Amino acid sequence: MVGVVTAAPVCPACGEPAADGARFCESCGTPLTSPGATPTDEGAGAGSAAPDGPAAATSPAATAAAGGCRACGGVVAADGYCEQCGARAPAPHDHEEEQPAPHVAGVTDVGVRRRRNEDSMALGVVGDVSVLVVCDGVASAPDSDIASQAAATAARDVLVAGAATVAPGDAAAWSRLLVESGHRADDAARTAVDDAVARTDPPSCTFVAAVVSPQLLVAGWLGDSRVYWLPDAGTPEQLTEDDSVAAELMAGGMSRAAAERSPEAHAITRWLGADAEETTARTVAARPDGPGWVLACSDGLWNYASAPEVVADLLRDAEGRVGADPVALARDLVAWSNASGGHDNVTVALARVAGPPAAGPAPAPDTHVADAGTTPTTRRRPAGSLPGEPDAPAP
Amino acid sequence: MATFRAEVFQNEFLPDGGTDVHAIVTVSAEGVGGAATTGGGVAEIIMIDTSGSMTGPMLAAAKHAAQVAVDHIPDGTWFAIVSGSHVAQRVFPYPNAPVAIVQMEPAAREEAKRAVSRLGAQGGTAMSTWLRLADQIFATQPAATQRHAILLTDGKNESEPRAQLTSTIQAVTGRFQCDARGVGERWQVDELREIATALLGTVELIADPADIARDFQSLLRTSLSRGVADAQLRVWTPQGGQVLFVRQVAPTVEDLTSRRTAVTPLIGAYPTGAWADESRDYHVAVRVPSKNVGAEQLAARVQVAVADEVVASGLVKAAWSDDASLTARISPEVAHYTGQAELASVIQEGLAAKAAGDEATATVKLGRAVQLAAETGNDEATSKLRRVVEIDDEEHGTVRLKRGASRLDEMALDTASTKTSRVRR
Repeated sequence: MVGVVTAAPVCPACGEPAADGARFCESCGTPLTSPGATPTDEGAGAGSAAPDGPAAATSPAATAAAGGCRACGGVVAADGYCEQCGARAPAPHDHEEEQPAPHVAGVTDVGVRRRRNEDSMALGVVGDVSVLVVCDGVASAPDSDIASQAAATAARDVLVAGAATVAPGDAAAWSRLLVESGHRADDAARTAVDDAVARTDPPSCTFVAAVVSPQLLVAGWLGDSRVYWLPDAGTPEQLTEDDSVAAELMAGGMSRAAAERSPEAHAITRWLGADAEETTARTVAARPDGPGWVLACSDGLWNYASAPEVVADLLRDAEGRVGADPVALARDLVAWSNASGGHDNVTVALARVAGPPAAGPAPAPDTHVADAGTTPTTRRRPAGSLPGEPDAPAP
Repeated sequence: MATFRAEVFQNEFLPDGGTDVHAIVTVSAEGVGGAATTGGGVAEIIMIDTSGSMTGPMLAAAKHAAQVAVDHIPDGTWFAIVSGSHVAQRVFPYPNAPVAIVQMEPAAREEAKRAVSRLGAQGGTAMSTWLRLADQIFATQPAATQRHAILLTDGKNESEPRAQLTSTIQAVTGRFQCDARGVGERWQVDELREIATALLGTVELIADPADIARDFQSLLRTSLSRGVADAQLRVWTPQGGQVLFVRQVAPTVEDLTSRRTAVTPLIGAYPTGAWADESRDYHVAVRVPSKNVGAEQLAARVQVAVADEVVASGLVKAAWSDDASLTARISPEVAHYTGQAELASVIQEGLAAKAAGDEATATVKLGRAVQLAAETGNDEATSKLRRVVEIDDEEHGTVRLKRGASRLDEMALDTASTKTSRVRR
């Protein structure tokens, strides 16, 4: 034994310290030797491997730029897998970013544990009206990624076209248009694959859309994707109210934490797709009383940050780190969600609200115009109390 | 135009820490078109045992079968006939002919039948000399790339040490394919199985000499339906991964693991011989380093290569999950063929134990075989097992060795042990 102390090698992909002589990163599985190395080179022993072993590993960043494997830098075969280490090359939709204007951006990502990104987003900006649409495909139904993209795009197109005719401050008209966009999104989800109607588990997705202008925020939704209003000063709010079993439990008096931990928490009670019964979006409107962010997201984010105060803190932290560019912020929140476990696909879309025009009449703070202009949809609820529901607290 | 297809059946989900991936790959060939379409030409050699033990009706039947075979070899096919005892001799083309192998045409057909009719039986049995001569004859016609032989014997390979046969088999492996046939009950199943396995052929028992001619005809029909002279099964594993085994599992169980030749450090090639319009199943097992839950990677690419060109490819995946409902499932195809491979080995082990006088082991092994044959729906194995054991309880594999089971029944069970039933889909 020779008492030579060498600097601990680290994995070139994830930065985890690597065990001496290890051929693969313990943490992420990335090969620690250069792709061309032969087994005999590696078998030369831990001591002699140190000088040109891990240090000689191909930088994944450098080779990824040349279209190589993200994990080891090897060549990716036509079948989508690396010819060297077998890692799956990411599909284009695994991670997508969109920024239609400097103050509006979104990021969607496959996450850590899912194999396909079923989330989709579609963003648009017309004058000072911004449109955010997020649809979360139901993972248990095949081809929901196709349905979610078709639905999000269809809804966005309705809302962007509507911006030409609807006054930015007309809450009732925007609410009607959001309902209309939900129906068009549903049509798109139903027809996204030819045989959707014939399937027992047809492709389906959630729907949330936000129309954002300096004087008005309007959101419409079906399912458990959310819109938050996160003012720079004042109380952050979740504008939407999930169509989910968890929300029903909370409405029955259970705490948010307990309800979201319940086994059925993620069962949604309304959605889009060929097997959806009720597809009229519920809507909500609010008038911002100052500058802030509107955030639309899938449950991939709120699984780890549900309460509006928590989301607001998260966003403020991110602003401190990466500044006020919405694409950098969305990216940061997605990365945070993945670092928290990344169990689900995650989508974060952000629109900056400058606040109402200074000359305008000062609105009352937090003026909800719930379901303005549309017939409010009623939630499907069992007649009796839900199983597992605690006794309702005395008012 | 021959087209190959590779279809993968597996459960790709592995539990946290899991490393071993199993898959059944079904390779099918279509539009192969028969041996006449092979570019280089087809060569057939028939090897007939003419040792002293063949004297009598057995030799007469063998000679008749060889003549029938000659009738069924189409014009243009290269062919030769070898007689074998403790030495091998070329029967046709005649030993004094200037060439060792000729193309079939009407005159050659008549002359070859005449040569066969003059065969007499004497001497011992040293099959290595037969195989060596066949190899030398094939080698004189390098253009004939699809080479097939039939070896017929009635006895044990008694005139040479077993090691001599084994080393010759190794020397000629990959140079031609050979089906081995044993007639009567005095030959050794394990000897012919060694030849047939190495030379990518089949082994069969022909109980009644009258059936030799029909068997030869069917062997030739099969051989001549093969329009792809040679295909390789290639298995790619990722760096850090390893092949645990590669096994043909249908129509018969043949372990190919040790037959690997390296194409690249990550790709190994396994011989599969010539192909007709047919499908075969392969069980591929690989070990890859475990990854984080949620990770997915390729565990193996299973490809078919003809003349060094990849003509079909199947992907074997590994996906780590913490969902036990996904990881606990065993692919029905993998389960079926795992059972069939075990069936082949317990039959062989059971019969070997019985031959060695270890009745306790034989009873346990053959009982397990009865159970596996029932579980996997291998009716042929079940009916052959019934002739060797009394079945008390099929489900639990409770059996008694049958008193007075004939050696022929045991040999029939032994030779058929590697035949598998296809998985029901």
